[in-house]
Amino acid sequence: MTESASIRVQALQKSFWDESRGEVQAVDGIDFDCHEGEVFGLLGANGAGKTTTLRMLATILKPTGGRASLNGYDVLTEPESVRRSLGFYSATTALYPRLTGRETLEFFARINRYPGDQVAQRVETLIERFGIAEYADARVEKLSSGMKQKISIARTIVHDPPVLIFDEPTVGLDVMAALEMQHVIRELRDEGKCIIFSTHIMSEAEKLCDRIAIIHQGRILALGTLEEHRQATGQHYLEDIFLHEVMAVEGSA
Amino acid sequence: MSRKRSGDRRVLATLFQYEIKRLLRDTRMILIAVVAPLVLFPFIIFVMRSVERSEQRRLVETVYEYVVVGDEAEWGREIVAGALQLEANDPDTSRARVRFEEQQVSDPEAALSSAQIHLVVEALSPESYETIRAAEAAADTTGGGEDEADGTAGEEEDPPELPTLRLRYRGQSDFSRNASTRLGSRIVELRSQLRDSVYASRGFLVAPGLIASVETENTASAEKEGGALLGLALTPFLLLLMLTGGSIMAVDAISGEKERGTLETLLTTAAARSDIVTAKLLGIVVVGIAVAVVNILNLLVYLVLGVVELPENFAVALSALDLVLLLILFLPLTLLISSALLLLSGYAKTYKEYQIYFFPVFLAFLVPSLAGMLPGMDLRSAIALVPIAGIGVAVREIMVGEYDWLFLLLAFSSTGGAAWWAARLTERTLSTERLISQSDLDEADLVGGPALFPRHVLRWFGVMWVVLLIVSLWFGEDLGVRGQVLVNLVFIFFGGSLLMIRHYGLEARAAFALRPVHPLVWLAVVIGAPAGYIVGIGLAELVNTYVFPVPQSVLEAFGDTLLGDQMPLWQLLLFLAIMPGILEELAFRGVLLHGLRKVFGPVGICLMVGAIFGIFHVSLFRLLPTAYLGVVFAAVVLLTGSIFPVMLWHFANNAIGLVPAHMGWVTEETVVPWWAYALGLLGLLVALALIWSVRTPYPDLKKKRPETFE
Amino acid sequence: MDWRDIWILYRHELRSALRERAIVVNSILMPLFLYPVMLWVMLTALVFVTGLSERTSSRLVILDVPAAHTVLMDTLQARTNLEIREDVVSADSAATLIRVGELDALMEFLPPEADARGMDDNFQVLIRYDRAVERSRRARDRVEGIVAGYRRRWIEREASALGISDADQQQFRIIQDNVSSGQQMGALLMGVMIPLFLVLMVALGCLVPAIDSTAGERERSTWETLMTVSASRLSVVTAKYFYVATLGILAGVLNVAAMFVSLGAIVGPLLADVGAGADAFQFSLPLLALPVMIVAAIALALFFAAAMMILAAFARTFKDGQAMVTPVYWLAMLPIVLGQQTDQTLTPAIAAIPVANAARMIRDAINGVFIWPLIAETLAVLLVMVAACLLLARAVLQFEDLMIGSFDGSFWRFAKERLMGKRAREGTR
Repeated sequence: MTESASIRVQALQKSFWDESRGEVQAVDGIDFDCHEGEVFGLLGANGAGKTTTLRMLATILKPTGGRASLNGYDVLTEPESVRRSLGFYSATTALYPRLTGRETLEFFARINRYPGDQVAQRVETLIERFGIAEYADARVEKLSSGMKQKISIARTIVHDPPVLIFDEPTVGLDVMAALEMQHVIRELRDEGKCIIFSTHIMSEAEKLCDRIAIIHQGRILALGTLEEHRQATGQHYLEDIFLHEVMAVEGSA
Repeated sequence: MSRKRSGDRRVLATLFQYEIKRLLRDTRMILIAVVAPLVLFPFIIFVMRSVERSEQRRLVETVYEYVVVGDEAEWGREIVAGALQLEANDPDTSRARVRFEEQQVSDPEAALSSAQIHLVVEALSPESYETIRAAEAAADTTGGGEDEADGTAGEEEDPPELPTLRLRYRGQSDFSRNASTRLGSRIVELRSQLRDSVYASRGFLVAPGLIASVETENTASAEKEGGALLGLALTPFLLLLMLTGGSIMAVDAISGEKERGTLETLLTTAAARSDIVTAKLLGIVVVGIAVAVVNILNLLVYLVLGVVELPENFAVALSALDLVLLLILFLPLTLLISSALLLLSGYAKTYKEYQIYFFPVFLAFLVPSLAGMLPGMDLRSAIALVPIAGIGVAVREIMVGEYDWLFLLLAFSSTGGAAWWAARLTERTLSTERLISQSDLDEADLVGGPALFPRHVLRWFGVMWVVLLIVSLWFGEDLGVRGQVLVNLVFIFFGGSLLMIRHYGLEARAAFALRPVHPLVWLAVVIGAPAGYIVGIGLAELVNTYVFPVPQSVLEAFGDTLLGDQMPLWQLLLFLAIMPGILEELAFRGVLLHGLRKVFGPVGICLMVGAIFGIFHVSLFRLLPTAYLGVVFAAVVLLTGSIFPVMLWHFANNAIGLVPAHMGWVTEETVVPWWAYALGLLGLLVALALIWSVRTPYPDLKKKRPETFE
Repeated sequence: MDWRDIWILYRHELRSALRERAIVVNSILMPLFLYPVMLWVMLTALVFVTGLSERTSSRLVILDVPAAHTVLMDTLQARTNLEIREDVVSADSAATLIRVGELDALMEFLPPEADARGMDDNFQVLIRYDRAVERSRRARDRVEGIVAGYRRRWIEREASALGISDADQQQFRIIQDNVSSGQQMGALLMGVMIPLFLVLMVALGCLVPAIDSTAGERERSTWETLMTVSASRLSVVTAKYFYVATLGILAGVLNVAAMFVSLGAIVGPLLADVGAGADAFQFSLPLLALPVMIVAAIALALFFAAAMMILAAFARTFKDGQAMVTPVYWLAMLPIVLGQQTDQTLTPAIAAIPVANAARMIRDAINGVFIWPLIAETLAVLLVMVAACLLLARAVLQFEDLMIGSFDGSFWRFAKERLMGKRAREGTR
């Protein structure tokens, strides 16, 4: 029985023009699916193409080849519907410093087309869930980074999207905050969301992801559950699996 | 995807609302950008006016010291005394009397130069004047020059032998100048009184001043004159306010958000790109208008408080129609300003970059808006087609109650068109490629390579243009025609081309398009050159009559430089036909076209190369005729892939212009019959058709991208 | 102070600035391009307007031409730049047409005034025009000129008929002669524009680098990196200071040079057009003026750099820095106005006012006036201000939280809390 794929990517490609290097193929033919109630991991080094892929899914970038659809909507032809079904979290996405936490959540709820009369209630629910009631009405610029992170996660899910993308979410976080983040992601998975999670931290991927794609130089080298990877490469730890796959490609290059 | 759903409007409203909310919370910015000017400017104006007033007082209260010299000094003193009498007895009490005092010095010249005295009054008999003038001419010490004090230029005929009163002043000194002007005008007054008495005593029944006297009456009401005055400055003033006011919002709109990382967050929401851009644009418009209104109210307060004064009898009356019209005219201007600021915000990667690039943008808007201030600028001319400038002139005309509906519409459309185009461009500001571009802004290291050339070619030509302009303005006279041609064509064009080829490692043959052509093309050139020349003349006539009227002096100067130097024909041909034919083509249809081949489509290339070619000929009235040639040449190069045909064509075109004029076969009086124009057009089309039929297109042009993604 | 360290740091600052496209464009390329382009725009606009004026003919209505003066009428009709409308016959309708802009001027021949009736065939001309409209004013000028010429010839005829010699008629000639040379007049013009410009451009050139090298670095988090190098903090700050001053000088000199070139290129032809003679204004600088200007630029740059950097050091972001520095920039410009008084060279009083003294000194130098003692006073005053700023900077830098960049507040709060000796609050973050 096949579950409907929340995310479907086929032969996705992206090339850039770079001043010094000329034409660069950042993503070079990627295929994968992601389902509801699943955490799908993209694992790769910096510059491997993870962020570019995720940005294409979020319709921030336009693919130069191939197709991708999210929650049934095509990223090229129906970008707004895609974004309405999506919650995007990245370490580089910041909050507006002069708005309060509550205002931030309200703002993002509204522009993501959350039904207007339900916004206030939804914001309250989230404030409670993340325990930020104490400082929900203080300006974001005055908050500590831990508090900001909570608000960031809240605003990612404020419009209750079925699909979530987390792009290296634990970069720069301390141990406690990183654990908190992982906890939240697990919760969301259990609620039935389809989650893509990219990282270059092996331990995180091992713990969180149901399936993992190893991505290198714009291509997926291997895709599967942790067990499938172990059997394919004969290695146990994800780190070794990763090295094995990358070396295989590099060696033959 | 219907855009009319109420959900969209609500999203737009939310976006806009939060933009404003965030701005209003930036108290420091508001303090500095809005409040501080309101407080500081009156202070600054006050100081400036105090200084100005004290200057005026000084000018009036000084006692001007003068010396009387010359062989008719006694007579001179009489005249001066009489003039000072007039000054003292002036019934007009509103002007303060200027006081003069005679001094005695041993060396008047030295005393004047060293500012010991303000004025030297030389009373000379005709003979001594001649002597002195001859001596001065020999020593070539004439300085600022002599002027008849009553404003009439020196007549050409032999003036009668008259005694001369020469007021020598130091132009560098305001006081000296003032002394000379005041005394001079009184002496002129005295002289006309003396003349009148001569006429009267010798039989004139009427004073000469009363013969065929002219009175003038102004039919303009005070309101109209007030409107004229206000209309001069209204557009630049409002523009200034909107630019600085709108920037308060614009600087954060995209570049600020980019810098802080909130832009990416925004882009991942369900809001449509166009909604985001519209909301920001609206924000800029609203803030710009708000700041403008605040400042205008402030100005009114200054007026009431007397910090700023209006001229006497200043009155302005604007009908409801006027106000509506003004509002309509300012609409496209507002949109254009806001779009430009948003584009700037999109282009700048950081707040700092925005600030740095703001100044040229500011000037680019302000300078055209000053067009309304130029005396003689009439809306019924090509200026209506120039964005911003057209509005400036249109506003001035409305303020004096002139409604030329056609041209008002033209001005509105040209600026409106520019605004619409700019607004469309603003969507591109959210192009996210630049968001994550890995390469940093360091372009000082030109890694080089032919791939980089298309991006830089326009800059190089910009530099060449500036150099050409400076050389021609600064050294033009000294160089003469031959020198200018040498410098422009050999050093700037050819030298520049070689530099570009070397720097970017271009292949010379490809860059210069040195390729062979089908023999028929030569036939086409033979037909096309004279035909194109005739069409060019027709075009120049049209432009001269309807678009850019040329002052007579400029036309004459141009004709002089072409034929005046008395160059033999072979030199004329060499410098003005052969060298341009080769070197200009190599530069424009060679290197420039090569650089732009991937940037624009074929039509775009022709237009750009043509336009740039026209701009390089600097003079306004040559711009369109040369641009037309440039377009034709570019088209031929694109069709044949080779530069040789256009070299010949260019040479032939110039030669056709030079030889008959030099030989005297045609003069300025020659009129070209209309059927010649028709023939010319026909010939041109035939030539182009011929070339089309055997075309070998320019290789390696811009290809359309397979699917439209942008 | 380790000068070697300072030199290394200075070179680093300068190099990264010159690699930054925005600074290169703004401080270096823009002056070189901006002035010629604006020049060209102005020249083109002037040519355009001149051409327009020449082409536009004045629409005129002439009423009641006396029979004795048909010659005048012929002259008027012969002019190609006058278009005489025959269809309007009443003064009132003509006046209405003028008011709505359909007609440029009305020329009415009237009987002469009482005391002018002695002369046969004398007349008076009333020209009605709209003073608010340029075309109408031009029409008036043209008609006035023609009538004046006619009057002159009439008087000459009468006078020769009465046997009045030319000499008696003209009495004497009066001429105004400007003894200042073209160079001096050029220096006058330059002396008005260049000092103002130089001061403004030096300040503007210092503005962005001053903010960027303090607040900007904080924002980019590279400030902390610099604080941990082996060079002393004082060296770091000194190097930045010289870097800012260098860019200010560069901006000032380049802008003035570009303006100078443009002035010479445009004013000459412009004034020749107006008829003032090609040699009326010549633009060249006395040799000594150049070093004086450069020294002034240096002193000004040092002054502005110091003042701006101190204020900007309190800001955490570039934007805040700009907000803090800009009002000071405006206020600092005010003294220039004092420096612009005409006919005054440097005086001991002016030489004591910073900025104004520099402006006056430069103007004097352009005019070839060098009052060395007062120049010395000017420089001394400026350097004293610089020293004061540097001392203030050193006092400010004593406070660690400011150096590290964790102080969050404005200069005024800082002054209130620290320099006034009040107890420091924990306003840090």
